[in-house]
Amino acid sequence: MAGTPGITVAKTGGNKFLRLVAAISTLAGWISAGMIVAAVAITCQMIFIRFVMNGSTVWQTEAVIYLVIAATLLGLPYVQRLRGHVNVDLIPIWLAPKARYVLFVFTMSLSILIVGTMLFYGFEYWHFAWERGWRSDTVWGVRLWIPYLALPVGFALLMLQLVADLIAVLLRIEDPFGLDEFSGLDSRTTGGV
Amino acid sequence: MDPLLLGALVAVFTILVLFSGISVALGLLVVSAGFLIVFDGMRSLELMPEILFGKLNNFALLSIPMFIIMGSSIASTRAGADLYEALERWLTRVPGGLVISNLGACALFSAMSGSSPATCAAIGKMGIPEMRKRGYPDGVAAGSIAAGGTLGILIPPSVTMIVYGIATETSIGRLFLAGVFPGLMLVGLFMAWSLYSTWRSGNMAVLASTTYSWREKVEILPRVLPFLAIILGVLYAMYGGIATPSETAAVGALLCLVIAMVIYKLWNPADLWVVLRDSTKESVMILFIIAAAGVFSYMLSSLFITQSIAAWIGTLDVNPWVLMAAVNVFLLIAGFFLPPVAVILMAAPILLPIITTAGFDPIWFAVVLTINMEIGLISPPVGLNLYVINGIAPDIKLKTILAGSMPYVACMVIAIILLCLFPGIATWLPDAVMGTAI
Amino acid sequence: AQELRLSHQWSDSDVRHQVAKIVADEVAAADVGLEIRIFPTQSLFKAREQYTPLSRGQLDMTVLPLSYAGGQQPAYNLTLMPGLVKNHDHAARLNESPFMEAIEAKMAEDDVMVLVHGYLAGGFAGKDECITGPEDMSGKQTRAAGKAFEQMLAGAGASIASMSSSEIYNAMQTGVLDAANTSSSSFVSYRIYEQVACYTPAGEYALWFMYQPLLMNKSTFDDLSPEQQQALLDGAAKAEAFYLEEAKKEDAASREVFEQAGVEIAEMTEADFNAWRALAQETSYKAFVEETPGGQELLDLALSVD
Ligand code: NA
Ligand code: NA
Repeated sequence: MAGTPGITVAKTGGNKFLRLVAAISTLAGWISAGMIVAAVAITCQMIFIRFVMNGSTVWQTEAVIYLVIAATLLGLPYVQRLRGHVNVDLIPIWLAPKARYVLFVFTMSLSILIVGTMLFYGFEYWHFAWERGWRSDTVWGVRLWIPYLALPVGFALLMLQLVADLIAVLLRIEDPFGLDEFSGLDSRTTGGV
Repeated sequence: MDPLLLGALVAVFTILVLFSGISVALGLLVVSAGFLIVFDGMRSLELMPEILFGKLNNFALLSIPMFIIMGSSIASTRAGADLYEALERWLTRVPGGLVISNLGACALFSAMSGSSPATCAAIGKMGIPEMRKRGYPDGVAAGSIAAGGTLGILIPPSVTMIVYGIATETSIGRLFLAGVFPGLMLVGLFMAWSLYSTWRSGNMAVLASTTYSWREKVEILPRVLPFLAIILGVLYAMYGGIATPSETAAVGALLCLVIAMVIYKLWNPADLWVVLRDSTKESVMILFIIAAAGVFSYMLSSLFITQSIAAWIGTLDVNPWVLMAAVNVFLLIAGFFLPPVAVILMAAPILLPIITTAGFDPIWFAVVLTINMEIGLISPPVGLNLYVINGIAPDIKLKTILAGSMPYVACMVIAIILLCLFPGIATWLPDAVMGTAI
Repeated sequence: AQELRLSHQWSDSDVRHQVAKIVADEVAAADVGLEIRIFPTQSLFKAREQYTPLSRGQLDMTVLPLSYAGGQQPAYNLTLMPGLVKNHDHAARLNESPFMEAIEAKMAEDDVMVLVHGYLAGGFAGKDECITGPEDMSGKQTRAAGKAFEQMLAGAGASIASMSSSEIYNAMQTGVLDAANTSSSSFVSYRIYEQVACYTPAGEYALWFMYQPLLMNKSTFDDLSPEQQQALLDGAAKAEAFYLEEAKKEDAASREVFEQAGVEIAEMTEADFNAWRALAQETSYKAFVEETPGGQELLDLALSVD
């Protein structure tokens, strides 16, 4: 959340695999942030061309849309690493540490399963567009496999970070749900407007 | 299976899955996938990435990261403190001037930030310690800022209004205008309560004010100028023919970043990265929920649940106001547990047909819904603003913050009732500026 | 009974919903164990995201401006090409021509077939001035419905701002747009008459015709029983006749609405039409032929329909 002190980050505990995944997720986060900045710049350029130069703005809207989509999907692993995906952790807090551990393994497996499904069919959709040479129905005519690529890449990286998070808990490097034995109400993960 | 029964089943499973502690977006995908597999067949899984991508394929979504950047870049400067100080110096002769200036600063800051925690943090960092130093009760100090912060999503610009506009296909420009007067009304109610409770606490010393010289009053004014420049610039871009509301957000983001860098000397790349990182984190989280909720609403529609509930409500012979009360209770409960964006996205496809069938105005309803979400932000168990305040003033007990916030919740309930009695508070301004709704 | 799902983007008062409804009602009345469930107002798929699931058999039927899928089958761009269709009767003759056969062959590649053919027309609206010929567009900020129109209007010296038809009203009100081009029904349903000084409806000469058929997944159709197929085709025939009549009425109705709102009505003359078409040949037609394999033959086929 904006402007508040402190930020939680996934622990790596010096584990090589966890550190590698953390590095990949961070890189993806930088790219995602860069894409958002690019979207700001392009939108302002579009307003300038239209309002000041009275010129045509054919490609900007589409470019901005694809940048925001790609920023969202590529940002997923980084936000997972920063514990930024909001959840309802009422039950995990109330549970005893053992039960909490079991619940964590269960929800993480469920998360990995659904992200794996999205990855599989996202790849298939991307491949479909690539094979058939689809383009967008605009004057710009973007080859659609380029923006669609964000689907398999984003979900693959998210899956990687989720697997790393699960492993970190299994190796006791991290507490399930980020809650240690003494966690009370104020250590919850929150976010959002 | 009967779609209504199916709908109840979906509701139960959604609650179960979300309460397991899974992230909201992934939970929505899990529930959607489960029901699609069972009732539409395995092949419908193929569609999920396509629908998810399609929901994000919308230019209006750009304004979400943009308004978040606006809020967090300004929140990371001393702009909030300047604003607060200026108001304080000018309002000092008013009894209880300090809490009034805090709430006024929250309202003004809201007019620039689309997000509640950003508003809360920006004003609270300065306002809470100052109020406590001058002897205001802890509950009032914490509660007024927690409540004032929630104005961020009612007074335009507002990320939740954008999300509502996208989910229900209503005009974002119109929604923004609809939030202005209800926002001011809430500020008034908050101020009234703060004064009353300070007076009742018997600590008359805080009401007797420190005085500032005219010189002190005038010299602070230039420090509020960048702030006003941003608000006026954004309003001019949006309603003056330069840009559509979604594009305006980018102008605002650029303005705020430039002002933060030039006037508030936010030069250090590391500081800039913090602003960008926090904005990216919050934006991605919200956009992913939007995308996942899109898949969820596809599932509801495909299984004919949305349509059946709307038809069923249409056949019910209940007073529309009873219906509205029920909807409000539902929203309140949902808001206790879920962030506003998730509630809006999950509830809008179901609630909107009900609301319009019963003859309510969707723009007016957006305001009522937003105030409901504001209540959720300062009530347990996951009232986000409470935790922001807790971060700023760790020595005030969460219980005290919570107790201090409760009277402000009552103010919001009164505001909802006033809006029901006088819908014009919300609808007059958009109608006056943009003509009657299409 | 077997259920087919039909998705479209319009409200249930729209002519395209009524077309779908006629087919659904006729099939239900035929009592052949087949039911069509209609999902209007993009309640299932977004407008531009219907063709892919249709072609993959995840959606059974849709009513769709075919040019939306022009990025997947460039040939479809001919179904929203300026000056290709002169009026509604000409459009009806195109539907029966070798040109349409060629388009249907492209659809078959994607496992898609046509049940109901239909064209809808549209016009131009100007915030301050009338738009009739190409010279009226010079220097104006405009929004065009469709890629080929954007290319042609840019050729006329206009600046193009891309936005959806639902954004036209606000953009005109705040002055972002000076002129707009869209369908007759969108002009009315988005109340553009409140924001413009002049309207050029589709009349004797009209530039903007968009092919918006009721499509079906071909394999799904082939898997139905002969009785079910016949019921669908019978319903489709009835709907097609209705569609043509209503399409003609919509242009006149939009003219009336704008007139009543006190908006000046301009007419496009034959000379205007020819000037636009000459411009289109240099811009949109040229671009189409360049980017479409076999594009010249398709264009010639379309132009050969009298
Ligand atoms: Na705001
Ligand atoms: Na809450």
